[in-house]
Amino acid sequence: MTQTHAAGTLKPAKRRRWNATDLGLIAVFAALVAASALVAAIPVGGLGVPITLQTLAVMLTGLALGPGRAFAAVGLYTLLGLAGLPIFSGGRSGLGILAGPSAGYIIAFPLAAAAVGWLAAVVIRRTVKFRAVLLFVSAMATSIVLVHGLGIAGMMVNAKLDFSKAFLADLPFYPGDIIKNVLAVTVAIALHKAFPDLLVRRVRQLPQKAAAPRAATPGTTTPEASAQQ
Amino acid sequence: MSTISLRNAGVSVAVDGRPDPKVLLQDISLELTEERVGVIGANGSGKSTLLRLLNGLVVPSEGAVTVNGADTVRNVRAVRQQVGFVFTDPLSQLVMPTGREDVELSLRRSVRSGKERREQATAALDRFGLLPLADQSIYELSGGERQLLALASVLAVEPGVLVLDEPSTLLDLRNRELLRRTLAGLSQQIVMSTHDLELALDMDRVLVVESGRIAYDGGAAAAVEHYRSLSARSLSGGDFR
Amino acid sequence: MRGHGFLLANYVPGTSLVHRMPLWLKFLLVLACGMASFLIVDWRLAAAALAVLCGLFLLSGAGPTRLFRAVRPLLPILLVIGAFQWWQLGGPVAARIVLNILLCVVAASLLTATTPLHRLLDGVVSLARPFRRFGADPERFALTIAIMLRSIPFIAGAFSDVRDSARARGLERNPRALVLPVFITTVAYARHTGEALAARGLGEPED
Repeated sequence: MTQTHAAGTLKPAKRRRWNATDLGLIAVFAALVAASALVAAIPVGGLGVPITLQTLAVMLTGLALGPGRAFAAVGLYTLLGLAGLPIFSGGRSGLGILAGPSAGYIIAFPLAAAAVGWLAAVVIRRTVKFRAVLLFVSAMATSIVLVHGLGIAGMMVNAKLDFSKAFLADLPFYPGDIIKNVLAVTVAIALHKAFPDLLVRRVRQLPQKAAAPRAATPGTTTPEASAQQ
Repeated sequence: MSTISLRNAGVSVAVDGRPDPKVLLQDISLELTEERVGVIGANGSGKSTLLRLLNGLVVPSEGAVTVNGADTVRNVRAVRQQVGFVFTDPLSQLVMPTGREDVELSLRRSVRSGKERREQATAALDRFGLLPLADQSIYELSGGERQLLALASVLAVEPGVLVLDEPSTLLDLRNRELLRRTLAGLSQQIVMSTHDLELALDMDRVLVVESGRIAYDGGAAAAVEHYRSLSARSLSGGDFR
Repeated sequence: MRGHGFLLANYVPGTSLVHRMPLWLKFLLVLACGMASFLIVDWRLAAAALAVLCGLFLLSGAGPTRLFRAVRPLLPILLVIGAFQWWQLGGPVAARIVLNILLCVVAASLLTATTPLHRLLDGVVSLARPFRRFGADPERFALTIAIMLRSIPFIAGAFSDVRDSARARGLERNPRALVLPVFITTVAYARHTGEALAARGLGEPED
C-alpha cells in the first residue's frame, strides 16, 4: 500500500482522465442547472432579472463535483444555452443574451461553479470541524466576487450604467442569494454524506493482503485516493 | 457457449470512519458454462455485485474474473464487447433520447460506416417489433417497451453473454411474461439475477447468494427451495435486517 | 437529435436565403452585430441596421409574431434602461443603447429561427474539433450533450414528483425537503448513467 500512498499524494503525475461516471455526472448536472432554470422564475430587482433555483444549482454543482467537473457541467449548460437551446431562465436562449443586462451573470456561472468547487475541495480535504460554516463562507465569497461582480460589470457594459447604479440594481439579489447559499451548503453536506466518494475519491478496492499477487496489476492499485481534479 | 470463471474472487470497499473494509463478496470460485444461469438472494446479499464482476463494472479486490480467458481488469474492453449488461431501470440505461439513436450509439464501436449502422439499427429494432416506436422519445414509451429497447440496444452488438440485473422488477405481469418469452428465444448465454422465482425456475443452474457468499449452487428447483427456507429461517429468528 | 419537443420551439422550417446560409456565416453575422453594438455611436445607424435585420427576419418566413416573441422578454427591462438613460444621458444616447441591444437579440434569434437544433448542436461539437490535439474528444463531447438533453425531462419530472410528495407529507414550506431529494435523485441517476455507459463500453477515455 505504500506505493499507493506515494502515488496518491497531492500532485498526481498525470491528470486522470474523466471516466464514464464523470461524464454522467457532468451531463446530468448540466441538465440539473437547465431544469432548475426552467421550473419557476420570479422576476426581482430593478432590472427584472428573474430569480430562480438556478444559482442554487450552480453553487451546488461546484460544491458537489469539485472544480474540474463543475466547470465542465455549468460550462456545457452555458454553451448550449448560447447555442440556442432555450434553457436560460424564462426559456430564453441564444447569443443575444450576451447583449442583454444579465450577460454578466450568465458568464459568471461556470467560473463560480469552478471557484466554489475548488474552495469546497480544499475545505473537505483539510477540515472536519465547522465544515458547514466554511463551505458557506466559500459560497458567499464566490457569489460576491464572481456572480455579483461580473453581474454588475455586465450591466455596466450592456446597459451603460455607471458603477453605483449597477451596484444598486444588483443589490436586490443579495437576500435571495444568502438563502440559496445556506440551502446549497446544507444540501451539499447531505449529498456528501449520501455519496462519500462524490468529491473526494477513495481507494475503492482494498487489497487485504499486502502480498496478494494481484496487488501488482494496474486496475487494483490505481491511486484514486487523491481528490478529484 | 462462453466460459465465465471466477477464481477466489472477493470484493471489499473502504467505508468512511471504519477501520476495516466492508466485505461485499468473499472468496467466490465458479465456472459458469451453462446456457441459463440464475442468481437469487435477498436484497443486499451481493447479487448485483456478483453480476457487475462479470463485465468489469466492479473489479475484484482479490482473485480474478475472466470471460473466455479475458481478464476483467487487464482486458476490460474485450470483456465488455463479449458481455452485454441490462440494468433494472431501462431509463438509466438508455442514453439517447430515441430508440434508434440509442441502438446506433451501441453500434458506434463496431460499425464504422454510418449507413451500415442505420441498417443494422433498423434490423435490431425490427427483431423485437420496436420499429414503429424507433423515433419516439424514450419518455413516451411504456416500462415494458423501454426494457425491450434496452435489450435490443445491448443485443445489437451481438455479445456472447447477456447479464441482466433484476430485469423484471419494474415490469407488470404482462410485460414480465413478454420478457420471459423474449429471453427464452435468445441464443446468448444468460446470467440473470431476479426476485421472480418463477423466472428462476426456467434456469439450468441457479446460485443462491447470502451475505456475500454462494449459499447454494445447483438445479433450479432445489435452489429455489433452499432460498425459501433461508428466508423463512431468517424471519422466524426475528432477524429483520 | 430528435425526441425533444420541448426544446424545439425556436426553429421555423423554411427554404429562404437565410435558411440556406451556412451556419458559420450566420454565426459571423451575430458576432458582427455584437461588435457593432460597441462601434455604432449614431442612433440612426443603429436603427437602420436593426431595420435591415428585421427585414431579413421577416424574409425568412418566421413571421412578425415570432419576431415580437424574440424581443418580448427584454422589453420591460429595455423600457427601464431607456427611460433611465434618457434622463441621465439624453435621448440619442438612450436610443442608441436600446437599439444596439435589440440588434444583437434579433440577430441571435434569426440564427436560432432558421437553423434546426441538431445543426446547432453539430456546430457546437465541431467547435471541439480543433482542440483534438490537446486531448479534446468530439465524440465524448457529443455523447455528453446527448445525455444532458435526455436528462432534462427526467430532472424536471423529479422536481414535480418531489413537490407532490412534500405536499403529501405537509412539508411544502420546508425548502430543504423540496430540493434535497431532487439532488439525491440526480446524483444517483448520474451514477447509473455512467455505469450504464461503462457497461456498454462507451464514454471511457481512449488509451
